[in-house]
Amino acid sequence: MPTLKIDNREINVPAGTKVIEAAERLGIMIPRFCFHPALGSVGACRVCAVAFTEGPVKGIQMSCMIDAQDGMVVSTTDAEAVDFRRHVIEFLMLNHPHDCPVCDEGGHCLLQDLTVAGGHGLRRYRGLKRTHINQDLGPLVQHEMNRCIQCYRCSRYYQEFTGYRDLGVMGIGSRVYFGRSAPGMLESPFAGNLIDICPTGVYTDKPSRYIGRRWDYQRQPSLCIHCSLGCNLTASARYRQVVRHEARPNLEVNGHFICDRGRYGYAYASIADRPRQAMAAGTPGPIVDILAGAREAIQQTVEKHGPGSVAVVVSPRSSLETLAVVKEACGQHGWTGPAAAHTNRQALNRNTAVSCLRPELAVSLAADTEAHDVLVIGADPLNEAPMLALSLRQVQRRGGHVIVIDPRGVQLPFDFDHWAVHPSAMGAILQALIQEIGGHRATAPDTPATFDITKLARRLNASPRPVVVCGTDILTPHEIALAGDLARALRRTHKVAGLFYTLAGANAFAAALLHDQPVSTEAVLDRIEDGGVRLLVAVEQDLWREFPDRKRLQAALKRLDHLVVLDYVDSPLNREAGHFIPTQPLYESGGHWINQEGRLQAASPVMAGGEPIEITGGSDHPPRVFDRRIPGDEPLAAWRAVAALAGEDEADPAPQLKTALADFHPAVNLSTPEATGQRIDLEAIAHDLVESGPAPEPAEDDAPADAVVLLLVDWTFGTEPLSAMAPALTRMEAAPVARLHPDEIARLGLAEGRPVTVSLNGNRLTVPVQADPRMAAGVMAVPRHHLLEWQVFGETRVIVKRSQLKAESE
Amino acid sequence: MLPEKLKSELTAQIARVDHPREMAIDVINALQDHYGYFSDEALAQAADLLGMSPLELDELATFYTFIYREPVGKHVIHVCDSLICWMEGDENLVAHLCDRLGIQMGGTTADGLFTLLPVCCIGYCDRAPAILVDRQVHGPLTIDALDRLIDTLRENHS
Repeated sequence: MPTLKIDNREINVPAGTKVIEAAERLGIMIPRFCFHPALGSVGACRVCAVAFTEGPVKGIQMSCMIDAQDGMVVSTTDAEAVDFRRHVIEFLMLNHPHDCPVCDEGGHCLLQDLTVAGGHGLRRYRGLKRTHINQDLGPLVQHEMNRCIQCYRCSRYYQEFTGYRDLGVMGIGSRVYFGRSAPGMLESPFAGNLIDICPTGVYTDKPSRYIGRRWDYQRQPSLCIHCSLGCNLTASARYRQVVRHEARPNLEVNGHFICDRGRYGYAYASIADRPRQAMAAGTPGPIVDILAGAREAIQQTVEKHGPGSVAVVVSPRSSLETLAVVKEACGQHGWTGPAAAHTNRQALNRNTAVSCLRPELAVSLAADTEAHDVLVIGADPLNEAPMLALSLRQVQRRGGHVIVIDPRGVQLPFDFDHWAVHPSAMGAILQALIQEIGGHRATAPDTPATFDITKLARRLNASPRPVVVCGTDILTPHEIALAGDLARALRRTHKVAGLFYTLAGANAFAAALLHDQPVSTEAVLDRIEDGGVRLLVAVEQDLWREFPDRKRLQAALKRLDHLVVLDYVDSPLNREAGHFIPTQPLYESGGHWINQEGRLQAASPVMAGGEPIEITGGSDHPPRVFDRRIPGDEPLAAWRAVAALAGEDEADPAPQLKTALADFHPAVNLSTPEATGQRIDLEAIAHDLVESGPAPEPAEDDAPADAVVLLLVDWTFGTEPLSAMAPALTRMEAAPVARLHPDEIARLGLAEGRPVTVSLNGNRLTVPVQADPRMAAGVMAVPRHHLLEWQVFGETRVIVKRSQLKAESE
Repeated sequence: MLPEKLKSELTAQIARVDHPREMAIDVINALQDHYGYFSDEALAQAADLLGMSPLELDELATFYTFIYREPVGKHVIHVCDSLICWMEGDENLVAHLCDRLGIQMGGTTADGLFTLLPVCCIGYCDRAPAILVDRQVHGPLTIDALDRLIDTLRENHS
């Protein structure tokens, strides 16, 4: 722990800390362009020069390149150092176009700040400036190379940190050019971070161009709800429209970056067809009246058919506040539910994962990067939780090793081992692996010899820090529990072994705490079909888009006496509703979310609700009509609406929320502000949630040998319902295809590029076939794409017999 | 299109090394010799052969003076653009060359015979001012010697 003196102040830092970081700990911000905490030091820009007056190093040196050592005396204000930095900045500014007034970075630009702070106020260079031709880098990132100061942050981030190879540095000397070999869409789904890390305006946010300056925006700390990782971001709004997301550093979760799905997925909150008007049977009315009408309908149903005839479904994406009030309402009134998962398997999967996540095993997304060996089971990181792929890349960069056991053609931006195993074989492999780890020889399951379980067990046993990552989308509860057992088995022989689940939904962890016995929408539909449930309340749960059997859903809705929908997205479901109540997305309501590792995090409200001026003014000046109200300000935070449905007329819902949050679950404690940002008390979660539920048999066991397993899966872009509404992301989406191993295509008599029709119980799904040699045999993967009517089979994992597949000629 | 013979030769060479990217410069040079310059087509083919991305190859190709990403004349005249040659009157030579050929630095004559490029530095300071034509060093040069060289190169083609 070296002790050194910077500007006459002493500081003690861990060995290996650079002087620039040591100064930062003292609150001294030494100028920097090339240095970035996530990328490390290269000493390229020369602007962090300081004077070393005493100790092992002497003279003007780059503070990002020198490790802090005992006895160092550093001056950042030394006249020579200040002069040095001033000249460096002047030199870097030679070719800069001085276009700050029209530059989107202007006003929050590191180059601007340091030019002013560095004392370069007068331009002396009178020569010609070198100029560049910019490239079209796709719909997300705007390129303006003339502003470049050659710090190399972008190419280092893009190639080294994210592992993509289509953006880099070309040329030499004054001709250095950062970009692609030819104009075109950036391939990395993490490309948006270029905007955040570029110290000037070479890469700027394209969708928010011409909307405003950063100081015009309402900016608040927020969270990403487009997967379960809970990455931190800063959301910006202007004129009642969410216009931009930036990564918000959280070194325990997402580090410094976010993925492009999270960065550009916000459009749903301000989209023109967002429902803002409360409706009773399609007729708009004041929200108070509609709420009263819905409350009356509930009361009547309860009087006629008992409290259990009212059921509630809620989204695992809803805030903790909403989940808590829904839970309280169901508990108090004896309503059925709340259901916060679509199928029984999905509900059990989620609860199994949450119950297996013991406090001593849980690791954060950031801690994943410190693993030596990561075993990924039944997860496709890039498609299901993109930032996980970026974390795993850092494992590989640090010399660690990643093994993925998954039937899909998993792709990751680094070298890893892939065991493409049939879903039905996963359990046996995990069991054998657990036995081997425990020192028992396991009888090898029926898998190819290349999947050497003994060797893998030995590798994991020898690893100083193994982590098990497990998905919950395509697996069964049995395998998810086995993944937990595997981590526990490793824990016996290791001081540190981690377990990391990904879940379905940003608040799925909290949804798992709703009940000891999980309830699914499927189970609620059963009750509707047998007449037990007569009224359904759907809280921010767009069953139309997300429930995997649309026909069954429609039939069930017809059987209902009444449907109440609370939501902030437009959906045919809303038009079916007897009462529709518009709710607020997180930018308006704020709230708390619990991510997949059990971390409780808060999002602040960014703006008051209302129709964006862009819409009310028809892209022109807003209407010159004076009113006390903002147009479209009716939506309520979902928890308020639910409290109004469940509580007394006109009652203030705030105390109700407080009680509901206090009663939510012993593991979740919101009473102290310090609890936010920390992991909840995992010890307080019952670790036997699973046993109490019915354990479904893996259906594949008695499937005919020539059957294939159809998996309806997540893709980075196009499948997550909210981000799929973002116009900026539509160009990033690939068209939906059914991926199969080439041998499988031949075996099934299908043809690549030609559509295949899957017919099951009278339902059909037609999608073009694509060969993917990385897929396991006997598996077909189709995305839950918004351009595909995939909601036909009632599950996202189904057995399809060969006779149920038909190759289409066109 | 790349002739099969050249393609198989390159594939064999690449197969002999541990990491295909070790051969990147050799492949680029081979393709440049074939096409006359390292064209976009050649870039794509090299990327294919080496399993690298086009950008990675472009990063290399644009770094080196002797890899041409644009079409060049029959003879590329690389004029040393460094200190010692400057001291020995290189500026006059360049002015004369531009005048004589009717092109600017970086340009190619209309007949497609000559391309003029600066290079830093060819390491023939003892023969400054020096130029490099068709991998041959010429220097120390006078304006007369330069004229004779251009005439000879022209005569060879007429």
